[in-house]
Parts: sequence; structure tokens; C-alpha cells
Amino acid sequence: MTDQELYAAISPLAEQVLQVERFDSTITMMSTPTWDSLTHIQLLSGVERHFGIEIDGDDAFKLTSAEKLVKYLQSKLNQ
Amino acid sequence: MNSLSLLPHQHSERPLDLPYGTFLDLLRAKTEQAPARDFLIFPESSRTYTYAAFYALAVGTADWLSAHVVPGGSISILFRNTPEFLAIFFGAVSHGVTVVPINPDLAAPEIRFIVENSASTAVFYDPDLGGKLKALETEMGPAVKFIPVSNVDLLPKVDVRAVEARLPKVDPTTPASIIYTSGTTGFPKGVVLSHMNFLVDGKGMADWFQFTPETRSLCILPLFHNNGLVVSLTTTLSAGGSIVMVDPKASLRSFWTLVERYHATFTSVMPSILAAILAFGFEGKPGYLKGIICGGQLLPLSLAEKFESRFGVPIFEGFGSTEATSYSSFNPVQVDKRKLGSVGLVMPISDMKVVDDHDAEVPDGVEGELCIRGGNVAIGYHNLPALQALRFRNGWYHCGDFGLRDKDGFYYFRGRKDDLIVKGGEKIYPAEIENVLSQHPNVAESAAIGVDDPILGQEICAFVNLKDISASNEAQLLSFCSKSLARFKQPKRIVIINRLDNMPELPKGPTKKILHRELRDYYQRRLANSEDPEGLKWVLGTQGAG
Repeated sequence: MTDQELYAAISPLAEQVLQVERFDSTITMMSTPTWDSLTHIQLLSGVERHFGIEIDGDDAFKLTSAEKLVKYLQSKLNQ
Repeated sequence: MNSLSLLPHQHSERPLDLPYGTFLDLLRAKTEQAPARDFLIFPESSRTYTYAAFYALAVGTADWLSAHVVPGGSISILFRNTPEFLAIFFGAVSHGVTVVPINPDLAAPEIRFIVENSASTAVFYDPDLGGKLKALETEMGPAVKFIPVSNVDLLPKVDVRAVEARLPKVDPTTPASIIYTSGTTGFPKGVVLSHMNFLVDGKGMADWFQFTPETRSLCILPLFHNNGLVVSLTTTLSAGGSIVMVDPKASLRSFWTLVERYHATFTSVMPSILAAILAFGFEGKPGYLKGIICGGQLLPLSLAEKFESRFGVPIFEGFGSTEATSYSSFNPVQVDKRKLGSVGLVMPISDMKVVDDHDAEVPDGVEGELCIRGGNVAIGYHNLPALQALRFRNGWYHCGDFGLRDKDGFYYFRGRKDDLIVKGGEKIYPAEIENVLSQHPNVAESAAIGVDDPILGQEICAFVNLKDISASNEAQLLSFCSKSLARFKQPKRIVIINRLDNMPELPKGPTKKILHRELRDYYQRRLANSEDPEGLKWVLGTQGAG
């Protein structure tokens, strides 16, 4: 999948969970007050279900921006 | 250090134990003892600083800051748990500057209030916050410099000895930080803490928990609050140990992985974190974890027992407040000597007592207001002389918390004297929310209360009386709040009382003051569970509690 396709796949979920109008590469945990510890868990759980993957605890705390999440998915799905 | 000029509420019956006078003295001493030991570990960015490396960074940052702010001045900083936060904090306090840490999630008007109130002349911030802070920079004009800092490792390298020689002499009673907490009037109040306050409290806790250079703390609470800054940072530094720093927003799901991967021996949490770990069903092994320090809000006994039984890690509950730097009492580190449900014994750095409405000490077993005095008690409130006189009186800090002491000297926290809402450890006075709602053109009056929440301890519900019932709905009012209030202060629920058939107006006392207690009773009787019958569903989505 391309980055664009990944954004398209996770945007509906991320926009609902994080209550943002658009989930794109500018979105970071730092700049998005709605991206908190509980919505982070919701977001990652939703992504796991959507792609049928498991996100390790070693990786989960590093996924602090849309860009990092998409890059991570890119490498995970290409394994 | 006996020649220090202490305030009346900073004297206690115990001798002041202050081997190092300032943050830089403490850091230097620990660096000389073990320069190559890891001090700070940041797993997200894969950056690790030994004591020697961080000492050089702190001194270099102090030198860099000298171009931006003079000793005696104040700066505001907005970062998460990053090297940038800590380098600027240590650099500034070493330069005799007072640091005002601000929660980056606050709304722009809230940030502006704190910057102006603290008379900060510069704001250092994470460039990710650019959008919000650029607009603020334009609004506030040239009197305040806004300086983004992306990577402190890129600051110019300096001759450490030469810079040290130029640094001003900083007295232990010099303000190191002003930490803002919610205020009864609706505006945050700044608590002024000196180097001495931090170092006394940090050493007190390090001694209490028998921290050593082998101690490794996992910091998952934000550094912009006193808990992260004192309990994780200063306490571990006092023992010459190491600290693993993680973004609090991202750490919860990885809690046990971080504990295991980094061989954490201690961590500090709010009860809501323990509740979330249990509710989400996160499994893990304690590994090297010897204990979890817990406070900041009421810890239900059942939660503590369930957590300990599931994971086998002792929880050490304590009592404190920002005005006492952080904790003043703790349960004993000897696990079998704890009293679960109590907030423990007073640490040897302070005195505590329980008083009645006339400031007379009450006998053991009788409830009253908890008071603290000692070297960890703050200088006071920033520019609030009336509140200062009210809370810091007769040589004691009066906490506004109700509790009692038993015959064995253990203290018990019972609740607040006022209507303070404590949501996930964040303290919010109703007036903060009510002030915002009152600015809505269709709101005649409003009142916010804390209501029970299974994870956060409390959530916020606002009752609103509309001038024209057809002109506004709940969603519009929530959206209005979101423009001026940080997310954690926004009500989860708004109740329009015009639509209730049994509340013609908000309940008031003889002086027309709104009776928040009656609203809490009403909510409990009539509205609790009416919107959220499935309990945690709003948090868990479709995942389930597992």
C-alpha cells in the first residue's frame, strides 16, 4: 500500500477517534489535544483490527504522529 | 544551610536536610560521583544522556539562555517529556531564572494568561505547537519572545568550566519554578517553588523509598506538573539514579513493556492510570519493579487491592500538593507496615497536623483540615496576597483537604473542603468552566460539578440555564467551551436545566451562591448512568475491557 492509501484507510477511524477534521501528515500527538492516552489506545486498537496486525508495546509509545504511524504500518505490512 | 532565611511555614520540628543548595549543585555532585552513569533515557527518540553529558548540556543551555533572559526573570516552557524540556529547565534555573512549565494542551487564552501572569519575557516551545503559538506571538507583541526549540543537542558546545565561572550565584531560596494550578476564581494560580523546596522534597522521598544509584524510575507523568518534575526527576536525581522519560500520552498501552525493557524499579502514577491498566486488561510482569508511588486523587481501596493482587507490585499511597512541592506523607516502604486506604506517615522533612475551623489541632481520629509545614512548603502564591494570607497562616500551609490522623500517626484523606474537581489527577475548579459558559450569549447561569468516572475518578458535568431554550443545544455549548478551555477541562456532559421538569433554576443558598453539593446529589439520584449505561464503553470503543 502507498502512504496515500494508508492515510485513506485509517483516516475515517482516526478522524472519529481523535475528533479532527482531517487526519493527514501534519497531525501529531503534540499538536492535537484530543490525541491523549485513552484515544491513543483506541486509535491503535482500531488500526490493529483494521489491518489484522498486532502493535507491540515496544512500538506503541513511539507512534506519536500520523507520519510515524503510517511509516510503521508501511514497514509492518511489507514484512 | 541553617543560615537560610526561611518563611514561617517552612520551619518544622525536624532539622532541614539540604546537602546541596541548588539544582546545579546537586547535578554537579552526582556527575562527579558517577559521570558515565546513565541519567536520562528517552526511548522514543533513542537519546540517552550520562550524568556528564547532561551536566555539559545544562551548563551550555544556561549560557545560551543568557542571551534571552536575565537572572531574576521568568520564562515559560511548553514541551512534553523531552530533552528540550529538561535542558532548558536546568539551564534556566542555573542561570537564576524562574521556569514556568505550561501544559501544551491548554487553549491559547489559557496559555496567554499564564505567560502574562508570570511576567515571562520569553516562551520556549516545541515547534509542533507552532500553529497555536504563532497566533499568540502575534497577539502578544514584541514584549514576549517566542522561541521554538527542536533539538537542544544542536546548541553551541561550550567550555563548561568557563561558563560555570560566569553563572550567577543562586541562593537555595530563589524561586526555581512557578507551577500553575486551578484556582477557585476560575483563573489559575501560580505556586512559587524554590530550589530548596524541590531539593528537600526530592531528598525526602529518595530517603523514604531507599533510592540508590541503581534506582531506575519510569517517568510516565508530564514534567509540566510537579509530580513528574519532583517525584520522578528530582527524587531519582537525589539518589544519583537513572530516569526513563516517556510521553505520558503514549505510554499507557506500553506500560508493562517499558517496565520490563528498561528494568524500571519505581514509577509514579495517578490512580486513574492503575484503573486504566486494569480496565484495558493490559498484562505484564513487574520484573524489577519494587513499587508504584500513587497519589494526586483519591485511590479507591478496592482498586489498590485488585491491582496488587493481579500484578504483585506494592502501591505506596501518599498525600501532598503543589504547595508542598509534591508529597509530604507516604506509607512505609516496608510493605507489611503499610495501611492500605491511608496516605501514610508524615515524611521526616515536614510536620503535618489536622485542625478545626478555628485552627485548633484536633485529637487523633477526628476529621479536620490537613496542614503542612517544612522546607518543602512553597514560598507561596504568585501575586495573590489575599489567598496567600488565607492558606499560609499561623506558620502552616492549610491544604483545603479534609482528613484525619489515627493513633499510629497514619493520615487519611477524606475529600476536599471546596468543590474542586479532580479528573485523572488534573485539578479543575468549577469556576474555570463556569466563567467560559457565562460568556455564551444564551447562557443565563451555569454550574460545573465533578461526577464519578470509572477510569478518571471524576468527569465534568455542567448544568446550564438557557435564556432561550430553542437557541442552543448541548453540542453547540460543548463546541463553545472547546474554544477557550483545554480538552481535559471541557465538560463530558452538559445538562440544560430548562429541559428538566424538576429543576426550575440552579439550587442556591441564602446568599444566592450556587450549591454545587446539591447538584452533585441531583446528578447521582437522577442522571448517573442515564447516558452511559455500559460504563466504560465511551473509553473502550468496541474493544471491550478484555
